[in-house]
Amino acid sequence: MAAIIETSGLTRSYGDICALKPLDLCVPEGEWLTVMGHSGSGKSTLLNLLGGLDRPSGGSIHVRGTDLATLSEDGLARFRRDCVGIIFQQHHLIPYLTALENVMMSQYFHSVPDEAEARHALERVGLGHRLKNRPGELSGGEQQRVCIARAIINSPRLLLGDEPTGNLDHKSTTMVMELLRELRDEERFSIVMVTHNQEVAAWGDRTIHMDDGCLVREERTKSC
Amino acid sequence: MLTALKVIPQLLCWAVLVPVMCRSLTGMSTAVAAAAGFVAGVAGENLLLAYVGGELPFRPLRGICGVIFLLLWGASVWALYRSGSTSPESGQPTPSPLASGAAALGTGVLAGALTLCRLAPLEGGAVRLVPYLTLACAGAAVALGAAYAARFLPQRLVPRGIPLVALVVSALMLMACSVQRLDLFSPLSMEVMKFVHDFVHQFFESMLIPDHPFFRADVWGYIGLLFGDKVGLWGGLALWYLPVLLIALSLRLERLPSVAHIRQGAARRKLLASFIHERRLRLAAPLLALVFLTGAAYQSRFPATEYWDPKPVEVSANPAGQIAIPKKGEIDLEDGKLHKFSYRQGSREARFFVMLTPAGQLVTTLDACAICQPEGYGQAGNAVICYYCRTLIPLETVGKPGGCNPVPVPCSVKGDAVVIDGMTLVNTWESTVQVTAHGKGMGK
Amino acid sequence: MTKRRWLAHIVFRALVHRRGRTLLLLAVLTLASSLATALGLVSVSMRARVAEETKRYGANLVIMPESARVEVGSGGLRFGAIGEPAYLAQDQVLAALARSGVKGDYSFHLKGVLTLKGVEIPCEGVDFAQVRRLSPWWQVDGDWPRPGEVLGGSDLTQRYHVHSGDLFDFTFGKETVRARVSGVVTSGGDEDDSLFVNLPELQQQMGRPGQVSEVRLLADPGNGPLKEQAACLQRFLPGASVKELRQVGRTSEELLGKVQLLMLLVTAVVLVCAGSSVAGTMSTTVLERSKEIGLMKAMGGSRWDLLKIFSAEALLLGVGAGVGGFLLGGLIAKFVARSVFAADAALRPEFLSVAVGVSLLLALAGSVGPLLSVFRLDPVQSLRGE
Repeated sequence: MAAIIETSGLTRSYGDICALKPLDLCVPEGEWLTVMGHSGSGKSTLLNLLGGLDRPSGGSIHVRGTDLATLSEDGLARFRRDCVGIIFQQHHLIPYLTALENVMMSQYFHSVPDEAEARHALERVGLGHRLKNRPGELSGGEQQRVCIARAIINSPRLLLGDEPTGNLDHKSTTMVMELLRELRDEERFSIVMVTHNQEVAAWGDRTIHMDDGCLVREERTKSC
Repeated sequence: MLTALKVIPQLLCWAVLVPVMCRSLTGMSTAVAAAAGFVAGVAGENLLLAYVGGELPFRPLRGICGVIFLLLWGASVWALYRSGSTSPESGQPTPSPLASGAAALGTGVLAGALTLCRLAPLEGGAVRLVPYLTLACAGAAVALGAAYAARFLPQRLVPRGIPLVALVVSALMLMACSVQRLDLFSPLSMEVMKFVHDFVHQFFESMLIPDHPFFRADVWGYIGLLFGDKVGLWGGLALWYLPVLLIALSLRLERLPSVAHIRQGAARRKLLASFIHERRLRLAAPLLALVFLTGAAYQSRFPATEYWDPKPVEVSANPAGQIAIPKKGEIDLEDGKLHKFSYRQGSREARFFVMLTPAGQLVTTLDACAICQPEGYGQAGNAVICYYCRTLIPLETVGKPGGCNPVPVPCSVKGDAVVIDGMTLVNTWESTVQVTAHGKGMGK
Repeated sequence: MTKRRWLAHIVFRALVHRRGRTLLLLAVLTLASSLATALGLVSVSMRARVAEETKRYGANLVIMPESARVEVGSGGLRFGAIGEPAYLAQDQVLAALARSGVKGDYSFHLKGVLTLKGVEIPCEGVDFAQVRRLSPWWQVDGDWPRPGEVLGGSDLTQRYHVHSGDLFDFTFGKETVRARVSGVVTSGGDEDDSLFVNLPELQQQMGRPGQVSEVRLLADPGNGPLKEQAACLQRFLPGASVKELRQVGRTSEELLGKVQLLMLLVTAVVLVCAGSSVAGTMSTTVLERSKEIGLMKAMGGSRWDLLKIFSAEALLLGVGAGVGGFLLGGLIAKFVARSVFAADAALRPEFLSVAVGVSLLLALAGSVGPLLSVFRLDPVQSLRGE
């Protein structure tokens, strides 16, 4: 299977601090990769680089064949809207828009807003009854599901999760994870997810462990 | 130097037109055809000017300009008619090389001839050799140079089909309207004014209700608006802009592509968004055409030609009420130019001018005509122009009444002075101006 | 839903979400634009008024007794009168005119006061035939008076319910005269609040036969400069002063110029203050919303998209405040014109563009800095936040 992500010698340093030591990573199309490590181990930096939110200090990073290091600022924005969906730990929903409108916002940046499609996406994540609610009126798990709907609305090939279950209790975590697996089985996108929850890592196909900016260990989880 | 400045707008227009045509037709060969056409147009028009003379070289050009404007009208209606029915995917077929070459050649010939007319001397006769050759070379060079610049024109901005026609025609209109004798906009607005005037007149005559009690005073006020001096201008502007606006509308009304067959929502939306974006870009050509047309209308309203327009000299009458102006005093009345005077009798004032017609007769006329507002006349070569309606009146007919000719005032030549009766002058002025300044007809 | 409508929708949502701040911005912008509109309106209508007054004087010379009351200002800018009334002899003026060789149309005016229903109102004795010639702009609703009739100014109609055809008892000092009002005159000037009586009748009532308080003269400008004619006439009129009427207008023009300068300065200060306050508020808003901006960038919004959203916000505020400022400014201008200049300032539609322009300019100028920071904001840092 073709690789969706291919990095070679990827580094990122902030001044003297080296957040990411040279990293070679290859993620095949459709894989669910989990990145584990302590805080400050460089896993969030890696995720930002993969999502085109940040630029590497050295090395190359190819996502679906395009070298992100060579893209302009607007090129990166285009890359983010077309190829990537991001799920945040803090959900980051726009507080003054309803769940539906939050999803449509993503459509707006991508192309044109389409209400029917956004509603369908929210129904798919089980929020058909909470379309008109603001984020403040939703529980953490529901907010995270809105976030997922928003991330997948533009059919990205790559879904990035930055500790998506960090703020959730056990029950919601399971629900969100099940939802993610279901969606992946339907849409066949790849997932790169950062977490330090061993239980969450077990949902993925492969786990890499990072420490101090280095890849220290790699293990393949048994597929359920 | 001044002559060079005169044709800069035309050459700029030409420099915009050629790259667009190159991109939307067949590239370099189009540019070559256009350049050849330009040179041919310049040469042909100059030959006409040199050997035919008079008004004749201008008439066919003006006719062609009028016809292509009418064709633009037809094209715009056609575009609007089709806009709802075609599926946009079918696209415009690329024109055959022969047709596009012919189109470029024709445009070049017209552009060249129009640009040369700008240089044509007012007295008639051909353009002198140096400016003539320079113009031909400059036009050809601009066309060929622009073909190179055309490479940097983004493909998405290039108009095809009817929008291209709109752009070409409007650029030619801009070229034409900067030449007084080829101007299309002023006649258009004059015609509109006349039409509205006649129509309303006929309408009321046939209804035989000149003063029906049903029409209250304010209703008459609105009807009076139709006789206002701005009707011609606004009506003319509407007719002037409408074809291009219709074309823009037809582009805007183009149907969205059918996306029902695309299963994935994101891909569907992407397609729609890119179509809408491109549709918006396609509006660039009609917008540019509107700018050209605005320039044309502006040049027609405020022509750049300088007129001979001396400040009126105040004269007074002798005790018998006669105004005597010496033929060879401070002002030489017999130099073939118009000389303006003003005469005051108490609080009444009249403006008039004296000039020697080509027939060798000294004539005295008011600085106003019987139909327009009294904005006066200026002289351009062998014609005087009414500043209000921009009609050119040949010097031969100055001193004869009728139309927009300056209203003649009886005068006699006594010895070496022209003598006019002050009372007659003031009375003629007042009766003329009272009619024209306050609108005619239904005034209530 | 089209992109443009969506943009308007979310901008509106964002504005409603920060209600307090939006209202504050709207208030500042409205105030600034209404002030600019009001000052503009007042100065334009005052200028039009002064120009009209100067133009309106059909007469170009005025002869007044030496110690006559001196009126300061004119028309809307009238500041009162100084001195005691004094009078000129009609015959003396006529003789002076004949001897000086100054030709022209003239009209005699005698100013006085009479009592109507217990209220003192100004009246003027004139020869109606003369006035009619010299003041062609007078619009008389009704008829010009015949002997024994009077003409009322149009303001009297409103104040004392004087209508044409009415019979009134006018009291001159001790006597009471019954007279019919033949018509109501509208001139748009001071004449509107006085009552016009036939000159000989007023002279008789006031006990000043053959005397007038003012002579207006339309000297033929064809006979030389007005100044010279005035000087020529002055020589034959020792007890009076001959002035060019245009002087009156010129003084008020100068005064108006100074008032306008003051207005301009005040407006400039207000605009600068409003601009800086808008800039402050806007940049706080952007700081507060940095997480949101970062999120929009992460979702794939290009810098241009974000600029569009935020400048649309400024645009909406600017247009809204501009329209509000136009209306409020009209009210302020009316109030100022009425209370300070005793005139009316009509709302001119062309000032809508001024009001909207001012508030748009302020809103956009105030958001340049914040917009730049939106442009530069790094999504990673702003999203990390807490």
